[in-house]
Amino acid sequence: MLKFARLAALTFALGSAHAAGPKAEVIHWWTSGGESAAVKTLADAYISAGGVWVDTAIALGEQARAVAVNRILGGNPPTAAQFNTSKQFLDLVEQGMLNPIDNVAQQQGWDKLLPETVLSVVRVKGHYYAAPINIHMPTWIWYSKAAFKQAGIATEPKSVDELFAALDKLRAAGLVPLAHGGQPWQENIVFTAVLANVGGTELYLKVFRDKDRQTIEGEAFKKVLLSFKRLQSYTDKGAPGRNWNDATSMLITGKAGVQIMGDWAKGEFAQARQSPGKDYGCIAGFGAKSPYIIQGDVFVFPKTNDPQAIKAQQLLASVMLTPATQVAFSNKKGSIPVRTDVDNASMDLCAQQGLAIMKDKSRQLGNGEIYMSPDQNGALTDILTAYWNKNLPVEKVQKDIAAALKN
Amino acid sequence: MTAPRSWWKVRPGQLSASVALLPLAMIVLVAYAGTVLWSLRVSLTDARTFPSDVYVGLAQYERLFHNERWLLSLNNLALYGLLFIGLCMVVGLLLAVFIDQKVRGEGLLRTVFLYPYAMSFVATGLVWQWLLNPELGLQNAVQTLGFDGVQIDWIVDQDKVMYTIVLATVWQASGFVMALLLAGLRSIDAQIWNAARIDGIPTWQVYVFIVLPMLGESIATVFVLLLTATVKLFDAVVSMTQGGPGNASEVPAKFIMDHLFGRANLALASAGSVVLLLSFLALVAPLFYARSRYQKRVGHP
Amino acid sequence: MNSRLSVARWGIYCFLLGAALFFLLPAYVMLVTSLKSMDEIRLGHLFALPAELTIEPWRSAWSSACTGLNCEGIRGGFWNSVGIVIPSTVVPILLGALNGYALSFWRPRGSQALFAVLMAGAFIPAQVMMYPLIQILAVLGIFGSLAGIVLVHTIFSMPVMTLLFRNYYLSIPTELFHAARIDGGGFLRIFFELVLPMSVPIVTVAAIMQITGVWNDYILGLVFAGREHLPMTVQLNNIINTTTGTRLYNVNMAATILTSLVPLAVYFASGRWFVRGITAGALKG
Repeated sequence: MLKFARLAALTFALGSAHAAGPKAEVIHWWTSGGESAAVKTLADAYISAGGVWVDTAIALGEQARAVAVNRILGGNPPTAAQFNTSKQFLDLVEQGMLNPIDNVAQQQGWDKLLPETVLSVVRVKGHYYAAPINIHMPTWIWYSKAAFKQAGIATEPKSVDELFAALDKLRAAGLVPLAHGGQPWQENIVFTAVLANVGGTELYLKVFRDKDRQTIEGEAFKKVLLSFKRLQSYTDKGAPGRNWNDATSMLITGKAGVQIMGDWAKGEFAQARQSPGKDYGCIAGFGAKSPYIIQGDVFVFPKTNDPQAIKAQQLLASVMLTPATQVAFSNKKGSIPVRTDVDNASMDLCAQQGLAIMKDKSRQLGNGEIYMSPDQNGALTDILTAYWNKNLPVEKVQKDIAAALKN
Repeated sequence: MTAPRSWWKVRPGQLSASVALLPLAMIVLVAYAGTVLWSLRVSLTDARTFPSDVYVGLAQYERLFHNERWLLSLNNLALYGLLFIGLCMVVGLLLAVFIDQKVRGEGLLRTVFLYPYAMSFVATGLVWQWLLNPELGLQNAVQTLGFDGVQIDWIVDQDKVMYTIVLATVWQASGFVMALLLAGLRSIDAQIWNAARIDGIPTWQVYVFIVLPMLGESIATVFVLLLTATVKLFDAVVSMTQGGPGNASEVPAKFIMDHLFGRANLALASAGSVVLLLSFLALVAPLFYARSRYQKRVGHP
Repeated sequence: MNSRLSVARWGIYCFLLGAALFFLLPAYVMLVTSLKSMDEIRLGHLFALPAELTIEPWRSAWSSACTGLNCEGIRGGFWNSVGIVIPSTVVPILLGALNGYALSFWRPRGSQALFAVLMAGAFIPAQVMMYPLIQILAVLGIFGSLAGIVLVHTIFSMPVMTLLFRNYYLSIPTELFHAARIDGGGFLRIFFELVLPMSVPIVTVAAIMQITGVWNDYILGLVFAGREHLPMTVQLNNIINTTTGTRLYNVNMAATILTSLVPLAVYFASGRWFVRGITAGALKG
């Protein structure tokens, strides 16, 4: 409340003598300390542009999106609502419940600015319905330098086989090879990493984007599933149910060697005052052409005819993609900007790596939720987590996945 | 007996009673009956994030019953319900009976048993997850103390994980059961105790043969409350195991919630809720019917 | 006889103490975790006392933990929760008493069926009622307002409240009621002059149940209360839950304990009444 008053006062000081700038109530799910710092950069940018930011944070993405949808239904929509770079808001578009932001998109040249993958999500039937704020990569491979030293691993693994060799060495040294949190979405991440690195970009697209039955029931995909299951044998007994942060803690304290997790893990390392390159390492993928998996956050603008609200929406959308906002936000969030033409001097080692990879268009690949509906992605996750935890014949898993993606 | 009442004295009262019940009737009709009918309608469509007008017959129900996760959730709930209600009753009753023995520090003990009920399960669920985690919690502690063979790792075992949910929710609810049953015990006439003492009946026999039957009504009410808690089991599963390992601790309320919001599949979630409600009613209706017959027989209004 | 008694009493105390230890175990872990630094927690020694005791997590939970853009802890929602709890206790109790009274003494036609449907409604999980309720409240124009959240809490508590009062009144001897009727009492007069004064114990019980339930409610407050009235549980959840953010377990534990202090205080204050309340027959029938 106090902060709101201060922000409002600042706006009065900066802005014109009469009414305060356009007011935007924003629903999002950034509630932890680091995330709060990130959303502050966005709010500050909006306020410097003359707007007034009203913050409605609701923990957990599913919860926040549900509230946004409920409020739209109830006739009391927010000015903007956070969604993921995915098919989550397609139903809203179809029902005509979102305002498009075509002028902003055209003015800023989004067609040239945004990666194709992101563009395909925010542009629906020729209109632009979402403003992307960042790109997260969910399948980084993190490793603890201390654990590697203890296990006698001299160099960073450069291929999938070297990774398995490293995991074996870690196990031999009495450490936990793969720190894992046994929650369905984390198993989805591990699978995505294996599909991208063992299967390759083409197979990945055939399965996730084209949902090609033949490929899913074929030999190459079987190899991917078997590698996925093989990783499970490198996790410790206490893995089921574990929060991802607790798994990262195992790397931080040197008890475990490797974790497959998104770039937000940097936040936990930073909290423990560990830095990339010194205490831990980050591997984006194996091979010179390994894909960079794109996931991210966008903001949509619920339908309204109120001219002040529309003004706020346009203003908010326009500040999101300026280079300054992009870099400031991503630095605090652990992600990378959606535009590659930014100055990377202030970004950390891993983020710089990520940005460099993104400049190569052929390495850009979308996360599962960009190609599959929430329902399909969910059904796939159910099968993956069952396979991870139970000894199921791999052919059955292939059949189940084909059936799940057919829907 | 009373003189026959003139009809004009009876009518206004009955009318007022009906009028007073009007808000309740409206709530019941609109909120409850209306919701069930609405869910039924939606479950026959292909609704995703929003309700739809495209009817697909029983397709959602078909999908539901081919869904391993849903079937497992029903099994889990049945197992959970039996254990949870049974254990809460036993533990609650034992605690109530023992505290009724005029022990010292009754107030403190009652508070100790009641405090879990006051706490939000979001955090207490996580604590239970830690306690039952083999690497982090009780098993680790006990083994460090020297008892090497002890295994307290149900929470990572697919076949045993539901027991951990039972454990944590019994911890949360049995204090409340204790309080309700304790009150029932306290309402039993002191004369009964005196009579039993004069007759020289041992205490435990008084409890088993005299007191327990008198607590019948209390136990029945507690049973209903625990049953409603069982249907709504959600927070504990989400904060302790997230439905895991794999889907081993899935429950219907979580299945419905996941599909309602996360998977944007309103129709499937509605089908699930209809099935859940009907199953429970099928279970509970005969019990209620039997109870109302029993009440009529013993002269209750 | 004496020695047998003391063995039995030993047994009783042992059982009660053992049970108390079981019940207190999570509380111990929560307390101890809330007084450690994150570095210590990361080491994973769950039961160890804090090597370096710190009350910073408590301070943070109350006034500086981040719950979104604002980092002001849970204190902001305190008065909102109070503002929701008070009407959401008074209204359901009033309605519950009135309904229980009507259902037990007067029993107009169709009331048994009404009661049966109401009890069936107790088995519907809140999530299922979400969409239809949103649309109903939207039509009534009170979605996202204090009136809306109070109405929703009333709806959800009707089954239990009505059950409590109805059963309690069923245990009141009907002769009293008949006598009042003969004296010329009408529906409301009997309620206010006879029944309500007798209801103090059961009202206490109902109040305790309702206060605990509404104070700890999250999902209903989140969806129906509107931005200005978000209860403390929303801040609590924002502090504890996160998908990809860092987790400060010590702050989470402190925040949880702080939030639960209000229902706990209510228990302490009226614990004795609680027991006496149900004594008077709420559980019969």
